[in-house]
Parts: sequence; structure tokens; C-alpha cells
Amino acid sequence: MTLRIGKPAPDFETSAYENGEINKVKLADYRGKWVMLYFYPGDFTFV
Amino acid sequence: MTAVAAKYEELKALGAVVLAMSVDSPYTHKVWSEGELSKIVPGGLPYPMLSDPGGRIGQEYMVYDEDNGVDIRGRFLIDPDGILQAIEILAPAVGRNVAEMIRQVKACAYVRDTGEATPAGWEPGKKALKPSPELAGKVCEIWSPEMAF
Repeated sequence: MTLRIGKPAPDFETSAYENGEINKVKLADYRGKWVMLYFYPGDFTFV
Repeated sequence: MTAVAAKYEELKALGAVVLAMSVDSPYTHKVWSEGELSKIVPGGLPYPMLSDPGGRIGQEYMVYDEDNGVDIRGRFLIDPDGILQAIEILAPAVGRNVAEMIRQVKACAYVRDTGEATPAGWEPGKKALKPSPELAGKVCEIWSPEMAF
């Protein structure tokens, strides 16, 4: 998979925590919206 | 990430969603969110915290640091068709600029909607450029560097 501007962002499916619940989330679930995906080094650090 | 939360309504109004991701498990996310983040952001983060076990997803996005076993600070703006439009990767000790992240969403959306190009420092209301053969070599007639600030 190429990581490049103008190419599809690599899809993924993983578990997510939100509002007290843990659910599966797929990047493809968000088609039709702008997605700001950001990575950070770890919980309990400044981010 | 609490800084992103503070500007979340503005992002939402632009039709954008935010996904945060680290190698931590969803249970660790839960403990951090309930124990600390909810004290900084009333009600907790307004967007999901995703888990990237072993940095598998981070590897695909070129942000996984094998030496430390973590995903470094990469930010990816993905358009409504799932196409990558902007990337920023920072050193671990350097925090992000949320205002610039939002500006890039606005600029990418403007380009997508109009087919125009946004020159350096563009913000809504500022002059954009219509790419055309006639414009080649003549940008200097309609745009100057002080317009970037």
C-alpha cells in the first residue's frame, strides 16, 4: 500500500473507546466526511 | 488532544470527524479518559480514541517507531472519498498547531469544492487562484507574499 497524497488512505479496522463504550471502527465507515486521523505516542502523556 | 477537543465544534461544523490513535488498548484509553481527560475536557473527549495494537496501522501510515514501540505524532487529513490530502509528522516532544490543522481542512475543502488553488497562508475570504495556462508566469501580477500573512 502506497502512502501518498492523492492516493487512498490505508484502510483499517480496530477497536475504539468513546463515551464509555468500546466498539469496532473502520476508516471506510467515514466516507462522505473529512477525517482528521492523528497518532500520538501514548496515553498519560501530553498530546 | 484536549486542544483538538476544544476546537471540535469548529471541525464538526466543517463536516470533519476526528480519530485519535495510539498503541494503547481501548481499556487504557478508557482509564485515561475517565481519570484525567474528563477533568480537562468536560464530558470527556468528543471523538473516539482508537487502538493500534503492535503499531500495525502506524506502520502503514509510516509513523510507527519500532525502537520505542509507539506511534509518533502523525496527522492525516482524508477527504470524503477516502483520499489522503495532507500529512504532518512531528517529533515526539513537539505539540501540534490545531488552528493550522483546521485551516488545512478549510483549504482542502475549498479546493475540492471550487477547483481553485489556495496560495500560501490562504484563509477563507482571501484570494484563491484559478489554475489555467494564462496564469502561468503571471501569478506575480495578482499575488504577492504579503498576502500570505
